[in-house]
Amino acid sequence: MKFNWRYSFSGFLILLILGICLAAPILAPYDPNAIAVADAFSGPTAKNWMGADDLGRDSFSRILYGGRITILIAMAATAIALLIGTTWGLVAGVRRGWVDEFLMRTADATMAIPQILFALVCVSAVGASVISLPIVVGILLSPTTARMARSAVVTELASDYVTAAIASGTKRSKLILSEVMPNIAPQLLVQLSINAAAAVMLEATLSFIGLGIQPPNASWGTLMLQGYAKIWNTYWFVFFPALAVTITILAFNAYGERIRVTMDSRRSSV
Amino acid sequence: MISQNDSVATLSGVSRIFKGKTGTVHALDDVTFDLKAGKTLALVGESGSGKTTAARVLLGLDQPSSGSIEVLGRELGSLKYEELRLLRREIQVVQQDPFSQLNRRHSVERIISSPLIAFNIGDKQSRRKQVIDLLKAVGLEEEHLNRRPHELSGGQCQRVAIARALAVDPKIVVLDEAVSALDVSVRAQVLNLLREIQSSRGLTYLFITHDLGVAHYMADEIAVMFRGRIVERGNRDDVFKQSQHHYTTGLLSSVPLASPTAEKRISEQVQSLPSPIEGDACNYRSRCAVGSGREDCKSLPIQITQGSSTHSWLCHSPVVRS
Amino acid sequence: MTNALVVKGLSLSVPSASGRVTVIDDLSFDIPAGRRVGLVGESGSGKSLTAYSLMRLIKEPVRIEKGEIFLEGQEILGMDMKKFRHLRGNDISMIYQDPMSALNPIMRIGAQIIESIQLHSDLNRSQARKAAIELLASVGIPEPDRRIDSYPFEMSGGMLQRVVIAIALSGQPKVLIADEATTALDVTTQARVLTLIDNLAAERGLSVLLITHDLGVAAQFSDELMVMYAGKLVEHGSVSQIFSNPVHPYTKALLNSHCDYTIDVNEPINSIAGQPPRPDNRPTGCVFSPRCPHVQPKCRETVPQLEIAQDRLTACFRAEELFELGRLNR
Repeated sequence: MKFNWRYSFSGFLILLILGICLAAPILAPYDPNAIAVADAFSGPTAKNWMGADDLGRDSFSRILYGGRITILIAMAATAIALLIGTTWGLVAGVRRGWVDEFLMRTADATMAIPQILFALVCVSAVGASVISLPIVVGILLSPTTARMARSAVVTELASDYVTAAIASGTKRSKLILSEVMPNIAPQLLVQLSINAAAAVMLEATLSFIGLGIQPPNASWGTLMLQGYAKIWNTYWFVFFPALAVTITILAFNAYGERIRVTMDSRRSSV
Repeated sequence: MISQNDSVATLSGVSRIFKGKTGTVHALDDVTFDLKAGKTLALVGESGSGKTTAARVLLGLDQPSSGSIEVLGRELGSLKYEELRLLRREIQVVQQDPFSQLNRRHSVERIISSPLIAFNIGDKQSRRKQVIDLLKAVGLEEEHLNRRPHELSGGQCQRVAIARALAVDPKIVVLDEAVSALDVSVRAQVLNLLREIQSSRGLTYLFITHDLGVAHYMADEIAVMFRGRIVERGNRDDVFKQSQHHYTTGLLSSVPLASPTAEKRISEQVQSLPSPIEGDACNYRSRCAVGSGREDCKSLPIQITQGSSTHSWLCHSPVVRS
Repeated sequence: MTNALVVKGLSLSVPSASGRVTVIDDLSFDIPAGRRVGLVGESGSGKSLTAYSLMRLIKEPVRIEKGEIFLEGQEILGMDMKKFRHLRGNDISMIYQDPMSALNPIMRIGAQIIESIQLHSDLNRSQARKAAIELLASVGIPEPDRRIDSYPFEMSGGMLQRVVIAIALSGQPKVLIADEATTALDVTTQARVLTLIDNLAAERGLSVLLITHDLGVAAQFSDELMVMYAGKLVEHGSVSQIFSNPVHPYTKALLNSHCDYTIDVNEPINSIAGQPPRPDNRPTGCVFSPRCPHVQPKCRETVPQLEIAQDRLTACFRAEELFELGRLNR
């Protein structure tokens, strides 16, 4: 079935998650940091839909606000990765020669570094904040984007329509923007979705191991960190944030995958 | 002013060498030919003959290793990139694959106006009008303006490519196997169109093809290429009725004709064709019934024999006709 | 003469926005043993789909709606697939346009031929290797004992096509289908490869279905000619009959638009306007009627059947008169 990238279930889900989290101040029933010792450790009830934590703070509100932070950091990281990665790959693919070699081997080297180790070093140097985390995660995700962008632009530049454009008098400077970009846009969209999923995962992981957002502010990862020690008696501390992370990642991956499948089916005809 | 028999473009002693892992390949080996105003030169050859490289070199899309290329009095090697770009207004190309030579994300209107935009001709409205005129000139309709290439047939796409080539009113059009990918009946339509456009606009064509029938129909002059060299050159009758080079005669006899009395044997041989031998003076010698037995074909460099004012060939021992 | 292949009423459909539409319409023909039959048509004529149907390579979304195919008397469309697999590649073989995609690029060609030989016989490995070398020699490959260990990338297009022919013939087939098998080859190589197929077919009493868009190839290398247009077989007769007097208006138009070096250069080529109909837009009645210069009201209402018209089969209501017209104008 034809996948319409504007209207689809996974697309709708993404928008829903984004919408809910960004609207946290309006939707959250309680202040996420409000301590109410009386309700501490309560499970899902009518008062606290997702229960309350050890200090009585409402989990649902914390998840909404936490999601806001996770999503914001992840989206910023994705944007940074797209910007850096696409430029990186395009320059390599257009210039070729030693520039291409240098840029791509640098990408390979960056990808060879274990991600958590890299993050550890960076975060210890600059500290974890809403500014530093997107940059660190963005840098981690850009090499794959660079490789994808480079191979896409090299393929397109070898096409007949680019030869035709050059022969028609199109300036070299305009070539990439007006001829090539529209053709690699779907691939970039796929990469964007995959990066978004990876960014959410990375942010949650970093926060979970304590490298991310620090208390009292909490992202989903931090919530899981706070909750996992008490997982046996009060499962809801971990369960709901983990569920949120899982659904978000699945939605982004599904969206990207559907675009990719549509592109592949368009290329190979009956 | 360009008079009838002036050359509008010339390749002189052009060679193009590619160095690869398996050795050097002479895609073009001392190639010389010229295009005369308003006429069609067909460059005929099989795979590896160098005809596409010759086209690319003429269009400035590739640099020769040696030799010079002149287009409308300008020596390509001496031009800066922007000067070359501006010269492209005069020489356009239509390629083989109808779909891949059009940007699949652009509309027909955008595709045909691309050269107009590149050379800053007119404004949006005047360009649209020009595009519509061009569509009609190639046998398409205004309704095709907003279509995308994948919504059109092969023949229609090729017409769009031709319209694009005509947009900036060039003097020369290079047709690189432009009808080879089309169905027989569509091919006929497009060939008729190309001839009609040529006479109404006074265009000069470089027609590259492996199909002798098409070359015969379209060309005033034919140059036969084999492995980077022009082995025979002449007008239609010279090449088809009085061919001298053994490759040319071999080609002509290998073409199956669509006639009811088609002689059932166009080839006695079934063996694989031998590859050329490195170091032979004549690159065709290994396949040549005459040359394989001759010492001069092996070691004596061959000079061009000018048989008549129009007909020349590169052979020590050409075909003898009684 | 016995028939190597008989096709009866074959119809294929594909899905479209408006439901399933016909791409091959009620196709019927016979190929006698040892006969070479050319099948010509343009894009969308259904000639390749016909070939795939004969080899039962039709997969969804393309569907065989009805029809029967008899290979040496055995009906193969309804046959159990396991049983048919013994016939496919063995009794009926096919060669395609691009030899590179038919061969495994990371296997030596010898291994690929031997694999095919062992699949269709009881020979052991060294016997199969000997047979493979002989097969390579018989298809005109020089130094076959050395070439047998080459990889596909080390060989030219013409040589690869010969290897493909060798594999196709390794099972001693009765019918060989060549689907645009020489289209990608140089004309000099094409001549040799087609002559090779001719010789091998004559030696083995093989029937050949030569599918091509090149009228010259069809004229030179087949005894009979079938012409397809938009999924319909419109004419079927001997090469000399059809080329000297094409009766069906499409056949006539096709022959007229053929551009070889014998046509008059001072006249425009006689092409027909328009293009074949899309499968979802088939006209009622005769499928060629929108473009036919001899169209009558009847043509737009009823579908003409393939019937005998003098010396060949034609699907046209005006066959007889067009035959006479053609005969007089010669």
